[in-house]
Amino acid sequence: MGLSTQASVADSFSRIIEDEEKDFALRDGSRIAVVGSGPAGSFFSYFLLKMANAIDLEVEVDIFEPRSFKYCGPAGCNHCGGIVSESLVQILAAEGIVLPRRVVQRGVESYVVHMDVGNVAIESPVHEQRIAALYRGNGPRDGGDAPMESFDGYLQGMATQQGAEIVRQLITGMECRNGLPELKFADGETKTYDLVAVATGVNSNFIQLLDDLPGDFEPPKTTRGYICEFHSTEEEILKILGRSVHVFLLDIPRFEFAAIIPKGQFATVVMVGEDLDQELVHTFLNDPVVRRTFPTDTVPCVCSCSPLINLGARKRPYGNRVVMIGDSGVTRLYKDGIGAAFRTGKAAATTAVFHGVAAEDFEKHFWPTCKSIANDNAIGKVMFATNAVMKNSRITRRAMLRMAQREQDKPSAKPHMSSLLWNMFTGSAPYWEMFRGTLHPGFISKLLYNLAAGLWPKTKNAKVKERVA
Amino acid sequence: MSTKAGKAGASAAERITPAYRPIQSEKTAPCQTGCANCGDIRGWIGTVAQRGKTRMSREEAYTSAWRIIADVNPFPATLGRICPHPCEDHCNRAELDEPLAINAMERFLGDFAIREGLPLPRNRNRECRDWVGVVGAGPSGLSFAYQMARRGYRVTVYDARDQAGGMLRYGVPDYRLPPGVLDAEIQKILDLGVDLKLNTKVGADVSLEELKKRHSSLYLGIGAQEGRGLSIPGASGPSMWTGTDYLAHMNCGERVDTGQRVIVIGGGNTAVDAARCARRNGARVTILYRRSRHEMPAIAHEIEDALEEGIELILLAAPVRVERQADGRMTAVHAQRMRLDEPGPSGRRRPVPISGSEFSLPADSMIAAVSQVPVLEGLEGLDHDGDWLVADSAGSIGEDILVGGDALGLGIAGEAIVQGRRAAEQLHAKSRGLDLSNSRDPDLPDLSVERILFATKPNSEAVQPPQLPGDERIALGMTEVVQTISETEFLAEVERCFSCGSCSGCEQCFMYCTPGCFTRVEEARPGMYFTLNLDQCHECGKCIEVCPCGYLEVQ
Repeated sequence: MGLSTQASVADSFSRIIEDEEKDFALRDGSRIAVVGSGPAGSFFSYFLLKMANAIDLEVEVDIFEPRSFKYCGPAGCNHCGGIVSESLVQILAAEGIVLPRRVVQRGVESYVVHMDVGNVAIESPVHEQRIAALYRGNGPRDGGDAPMESFDGYLQGMATQQGAEIVRQLITGMECRNGLPELKFADGETKTYDLVAVATGVNSNFIQLLDDLPGDFEPPKTTRGYICEFHSTEEEILKILGRSVHVFLLDIPRFEFAAIIPKGQFATVVMVGEDLDQELVHTFLNDPVVRRTFPTDTVPCVCSCSPLINLGARKRPYGNRVVMIGDSGVTRLYKDGIGAAFRTGKAAATTAVFHGVAAEDFEKHFWPTCKSIANDNAIGKVMFATNAVMKNSRITRRAMLRMAQREQDKPSAKPHMSSLLWNMFTGSAPYWEMFRGTLHPGFISKLLYNLAAGLWPKTKNAKVKERVA
Repeated sequence: MSTKAGKAGASAAERITPAYRPIQSEKTAPCQTGCANCGDIRGWIGTVAQRGKTRMSREEAYTSAWRIIADVNPFPATLGRICPHPCEDHCNRAELDEPLAINAMERFLGDFAIREGLPLPRNRNRECRDWVGVVGAGPSGLSFAYQMARRGYRVTVYDARDQAGGMLRYGVPDYRLPPGVLDAEIQKILDLGVDLKLNTKVGADVSLEELKKRHSSLYLGIGAQEGRGLSIPGASGPSMWTGTDYLAHMNCGERVDTGQRVIVIGGGNTAVDAARCARRNGARVTILYRRSRHEMPAIAHEIEDALEEGIELILLAAPVRVERQADGRMTAVHAQRMRLDEPGPSGRRRPVPISGSEFSLPADSMIAAVSQVPVLEGLEGLDHDGDWLVADSAGSIGEDILVGGDALGLGIAGEAIVQGRRAAEQLHAKSRGLDLSNSRDPDLPDLSVERILFATKPNSEAVQPPQLPGDERIALGMTEVVQTISETEFLAEVERCFSCGSCSGCEQCFMYCTPGCFTRVEEARPGMYFTLNLDQCHECGKCIEVCPCGYLEVQ
């Protein structure tokens, strides 16, 4: 990506980092810029202003977001499958952030795992905790009449209620001016701030400006996902998919996993795999297992994109007067990006208000939150790698399915596999917790038993056939 | 890891997911659709609004913007004061809040050019021996003269009056258009070497035949300067004026005694101008118009200003007779109430008298500003249909004679200027053997208003040019009443433009296209900031849908 200002930005950032002489506390009249108004930017602004208000500190927060979440389709979209664990909804409620029904379209009651050897419906392991489907923007193309409200738009409104100002300008560069970060706008104008929070995610080239920075600013690794939206009537979507998220673990080359999520008049297909292209999308949607569940010839696709997905932590998501939050810095692997945006946004706000905006302040008070997510991601990588190996073997696929089916059939049984799959798909629990579950003697013994039963000629197909039928 | 979503894989027929591949497609801006003359409005606004991206100083941007206007219209300071600005009626911004104040911005640039002494642009043509003559130094004739002179032609303009400007000088009151402004813009045309022969009336001082012999080509921009009177009982006699006569006398600085009670007939700009002049002379003025306010052709804010200055407006009423004393002195105007019937051939609803509704208004004089026609004296040999000259579609009215402006039918000054320009382009192409299809009005596709992302800009009110309260305006007499907007206001106003259908360099496509299909161009200019290479395109269409001005579209 040829961004002309890269070199100068890199130099100026170094100066910002080396600038040790300045006073790094926020004071009355301090100005904070937030670049990007996704969940991370809005959570950061909301908490920063709320905390500042609590200690009688008067600061100005400008959120730079040129796009409007009023628009359907890509113009108001933030590239996301749109699944929020109910646990996050509850955490937000505890913070006083109650998401209204028109934003969070509750009603997804179970996950159905589809494999070539059969399928299994996994009910919520704790019945009070359901999952929520939502749209980050205002829904896909052609969704003008759908009764929905943008999740990101709602959070943005929350931040503005606290006093943040939405500035509809695109930031195209950042430099250092007299020790302060200076933002450059698309129209050539500039403005300096006491603190800049970068919350652009990874699907904006703004991040490229920061990626050229030296040393510890090495950017997070990314991969591409694929999201497409199918449009029909609410009745038709309900008839086809029910109130379940459908997850597919299929033995297709380069394919990792995919989910089909019902959302009112729409169904969102999310795919993760290696080197995703139209051929792989086509192969997946025409796979017999998928077509049985979701016949695309009756439900037209209206919207698709290939967003970048953050695969790991930025090594040093902060500097003097600069902090990177949400996907721009550190997020959870594959899942619960909104939860990570909440945690990093709040941690950055807390640091800025109560400790200061120097690199060492962020290192001491913000980085631990990032680090815990990054460490958990390392375990997550092992989990997903194990899952990929198991998914590619018919024997292990059958064992996983049998084990989950038996758990679902016997509510009194401890749901080892069901909980694991549920948490893997919803992101409701940290990866270390899931990993710990796989070390449980009950999990290991049951898995071994089902592996063996899957190999035994008399029992191998019994349960699976019943399910397919 | 790369993605090849836009490349191989399923064929188009097999595709399940839609493909949105972008193309860059400039569209016709709606302001342009509505404007008779002001050239590339979006272009000159964009030149100032986008000066940061093109690395221009403010002054450079103003100069460049003025030149874009002056390329087609040598009277931006003049039209910036008097044009009814139909461009603003078409502005997409009205869908969000208020249309851009294009007219006020044009005036700002026109005043800037006068203040800075900017010369009108010349083309790089070699000197030409052809000597063209222009009859009439009004907006149409001077526009033609300018366009020919800049192309290297020798030009002489003849006018019957003692000053150039035509209806701009004699038909528009000084409080709307100060003579100094008009003089300055005319002088820029004369500075190109245009020869001006005043007090030269065709048919009296020089014949058409003589002019034809003298010049290789002639352009007639004689205007329509004769006001039509009323044919109602009592209309003949003293204290009866036509709107054009009255305004011409006022603009010449003559004292015109209309008495204390003046009735003005008509609903156009001439009527409103005459009424406001009479009010400035101390009279109590009433305008009678036979249709409703909605049908009044006058500029809406001029009507508002007239009312604010204490002028009475009686709608749906027409005069039926003038009452006079035995010595001929006017005492009253009798009028009749009207109602509106179905639309007539003009498209406006036809007024129909209501019987028994007559009423009278005391009057010392009456100004009839109902219509005006050309003076064809000395031009009788040319094709005409009644009062009006008739030209072919190319503006020709005989061998080597072109005609434009109000002589063909009444219109606004902007239309007269554009007709003068087109005639000059036509004549130049013909004399140099050029292809007119390379004309300056490119045929661009229209833009749907739905393509503009209004929510990407904050709501804001259009700038209002400063103006004194009505009573203070009256007290100032013929002093200009509306001021030019400030530089701060001008710069704020250009920011309100959505650059409909043309790239404004907002960078959103560039910023959100992570495969990197967009590349910044080295020499950026309004409308051209990025090149597009679709080799890595994911066909998601995000660039198209985040484009706030509708420049990008699906292939």
